Amino acid sequence: MAVEVHAIPGAQFMDPAVLARIGNLELISRAVADGFINGLHKAPYFGASVDFAEHRGYVPGDDIRRMDWRLWARTDRYYIKEYEAETNMNFSVLMDVSKSMDYGSRGITKFDYARILTACLTNLVHHQRDRVGFVAFDDEVVEYVPPSAKHMETVLHVLDRLKPGRPGNLKGPLHKLAEHFGRRGVVVIVSDFYDDPDAILDAVSPLRFRGQDLIAFHVLDPTELEFGFTDAQPFEDLESGEQMPVVPEAFREEYRSLVRAHIDALTKSFAGVRVDYSMLDTSKPLDHALYKYLGSRSKMMRIR
Amino acid sequence: MSFLAPLFFAALAGLLIPVLLHLTQREKKQIVRFPSLMFVRRIPYQSVRRRKIQNWLLLMVRMAALALIILAFTRPLLNRTDVPTGGAAAREVVILLDTSYSMGYGDRWTRAQAAAREQINGINASDRGSVVLFGSGADIQLRSTSERSRLQATVDSAAPSPSATRFSPALKVAGSILAESTLPKREVVIISDFQRGGWRGEEGAKLPEGTTLTPVAIQDPADKPNLTVTGVTFARSSFSNQQRLVVTAGVTNRTEQKVSGGSMTLEVGGLTIATKPVAVEGGSSASVAFDPFIVSGRNTRASVRLSEDALGTDNTFNFVVSPIEPVHITVLDRGTAASALYLTRVLSIGESPKFETVFRQVDALTDEDLRRSAVIVLNDVEVGAPLAKRLARYVEQGGGMFVATGPRARWPQEVDTLPATVGQPVDRTRGDAARVGGLEYGHPVFEPFRAPRSGDFSSIPVYGYRNLTAAMGAQVLARFDAGTPAVVERRVGRGRVLLWGSTLDVSWSDLPTKPVFLPFVHQAIRHLAGYAEPEPWLTVGQVFNTSAVSARGNTVQRVVLTPSGRRLPLDDEGTDVLELTEQGFYEVRGDANQADAIVAANVDPAEADLTPMDPNEIRAAAVDAGAEATGTPAGIPLTPEAREKNQRLWWYLLVVGILLLGADTLLSNRMAKA
Repeated sequence: MAVEVHAIPGAQFMDPAVLARIGNLELISRAVADGFINGLHKAPYFGASVDFAEHRGYVPGDDIRRMDWRLWARTDRYYIKEYEAETNMNFSVLMDVSKSMDYGSRGITKFDYARILTACLTNLVHHQRDRVGFVAFDDEVVEYVPPSAKHMETVLHVLDRLKPGRPGNLKGPLHKLAEHFGRRGVVVIVSDFYDDPDAILDAVSPLRFRGQDLIAFHVLDPTELEFGFTDAQPFEDLESGEQMPVVPEAFREEYRSLVRAHIDALTKSFAGVRVDYSMLDTSKPLDHALYKYLGSRSKMMRIR
Repeated sequence: MSFLAPLFFAALAGLLIPVLLHLTQREKKQIVRFPSLMFVRRIPYQSVRRRKIQNWLLLMVRMAALALIILAFTRPLLNRTDVPTGGAAAREVVILLDTSYSMGYGDRWTRAQAAAREQINGINASDRGSVVLFGSGADIQLRSTSERSRLQATVDSAAPSPSATRFSPALKVAGSILAESTLPKREVVIISDFQRGGWRGEEGAKLPEGTTLTPVAIQDPADKPNLTVTGVTFARSSFSNQQRLVVTAGVTNRTEQKVSGGSMTLEVGGLTIATKPVAVEGGSSASVAFDPFIVSGRNTRASVRLSEDALGTDNTFNFVVSPIEPVHITVLDRGTAASALYLTRVLSIGESPKFETVFRQVDALTDEDLRRSAVIVLNDVEVGAPLAKRLARYVEQGGGMFVATGPRARWPQEVDTLPATVGQPVDRTRGDAARVGGLEYGHPVFEPFRAPRSGDFSSIPVYGYRNLTAAMGAQVLARFDAGTPAVVERRVGRGRVLLWGSTLDVSWSDLPTKPVFLPFVHQAIRHLAGYAEPEPWLTVGQVFNTSAVSARGNTVQRVVLTPSGRRLPLDDEGTDVLELTEQGFYEVRGDANQADAIVAANVDPAEADLTPMDPNEIRAAAVDAGAEATGTPAGIPLTPEAREKNQRLWWYLLVVGILLLGADTLLSNRMAKA
């Protein structure tokens, strides 16, 4: 079972900057998710949550309603039908709302992009009848919407209210949340991951350790990737307020290599703990992110 | 290089403007808010600095452009000329050698000559040298020559003169020599003992720009005893028809040491009259009085001499003594005692000169009277035509005539000698009396009354006067209040006629009873007689007017015999002046080779004051310090083209500055696009 990730012919995905102007998250997420689903309609492998996985021998105590009577008729043995997963899984988005997310050079901030992404994912998952939850955090948990099949509206409402403000820190909130997520599910972390790769790994490890399927979306503005500044100017850190003079021409190459190294390090680190990591450029349409999600979902199932 | 407008350098402060703008612009630049400086922080800071230097390039271009434009405004002036200058440029050297008599003190003269020779030895074949000897004046002995032997000979033959030191004429002469020189380097060497008295500082002696002035001070402590005769005074007395003279000589000791054991001798007519001992404390003066002696003849030579000391020139003081000769006056009068009373009294008073007066009736005037008299006074008399003609001739030959016009005065019309036509009498006995005013104080007759409270003519009432009409060529010296002339003078031939419009007795005016009467009459007689106090001595450097001693009717070629025995012929113009350059007696000889006049010449006693001055004072005043320091061959008058060429640099600076500004625009535009 595999999902081929490719651009669908004739499908026009909306520019994130245009989406950002709409303002209504529900509308956006529906437009994006419906379009995405419609686009996928012809795909041979749609969904994958309630499929049969295997048979196992009956042991006393098993629910006899799950007995495969057809197989008993053919083999005269009792077998129980096992299914791949819970049909209604928990899906939570952990969104970084630290100050550094409030940056955008092409009409949409990373924060807005993350919001739209969250809304879309939530909408998508909601369509699959899964339980959706949402957590916003900076250096602590700002908003918490527990996973529920009825919480789609709440999540969108919370997302609408959110404002980035304080410096962020992954470790504290993620460790705390790891204790909350008792039931295994899918956890999506949306952040710009401005931290040391080891520290980030340290922050997500408890979640992974408790069996959550983790997907990390690394949201970055193209300027953060390209460092396309020209004039020598003082730069101010959004979170710490620290200023320093920067001559971009001199910094650019070194900066790019550092960012690349950071992304590579994160890719490697997350891969090591089987966290699906993908870097999202806010100038690219959201379908990339959604493909990524679905692709990773299918991969995870396949592995299992 | 110098600058015509150096004040513009203040604008260099403007160079800070681009720097400040640069800095402030950097400060004001919008701060880029960036999510995280995590990666930026890891980049080494040095790269920032290295990068900055490229921006500095633009800044430097701007600053250079500004600096060049400012430099152009300061009008730089190149001090170069087109005169080829090798390693040792040719020099024009002027050696000013002090020959004042103070150089005779001790061995100063020998040392001065040695110093001059040394300077001459330094003159190369390409150089030119001049020797100027100076005292109170300056004399170019040898001008602009490269022949050292001639220069040496000139110095060797020079000797101290009796003149005093004056630096200013010497510097002016040196300046004139240098101004005509075309050699690139100009030097003036002053060899002198630099006496304080020789420099007054304000004499405006400026050497051409770029001249180097080298003072060579021939000085030593003036510790050798030296006395100076500063002058003599006379006390005259008469004793049994003989004039006796007491001579008192002043002696100054300008050294610190007391001088005793010296002596002073009085010589008259070549004979030693008396010798007196002299003792003077250091830095003080004394006087030596000699016993009276009888002055026997005119123009008797006399001297006082001190015994020998370190400076001999100032030890002798010469003077000429003569018995005082009276001025002979003949008064033509009516013969009444009343009319001549005041005149008689006035003329009987007087020592210098004495007046010898003879009273004559109009018809009793003899030729002998005319010959003897220096002045004829016509005291309100009627003059007939023959007498008038005689008098006219007398005046033309140099005699003086004083005419007082009372009611009887009459002068024939045909004899045009009087300075005014004598008209009808004016009676001012009724109403206000007439007053005399409008005095010509510049005239010798009224000169003593020039000062305030020295005689008031306007307060004297005149009750009657003759209506005078000034003749052609006559000078009105005073007027009555009605405007008619009161005192008129006229030159006739070699003599003078003075006309007073009223009487010399109290019949028409109160003048004879007033204090101004005596000086007025004395001055008038002196003036008409051409009387001048004989100068007993003059100082070397002064001029002597030989025409003053010419006798009436003297037409013979005269000569002057100098103290050194030279004979200097004088021309007949009678205006010749003679500068006294030697110490001793000058004789003016005329008829039969007889001495008409003898003039005693003495050295300036101020020169004996050997107090030295700082030679740099002269250098500071005579040489432009800036020009001398550069040592440029300035002072050579440059052609206008060369001058323009030297100043043209500003033009290039301005063009380069503007080009740089253009380059700056291009560069910054290109950088902005990048």
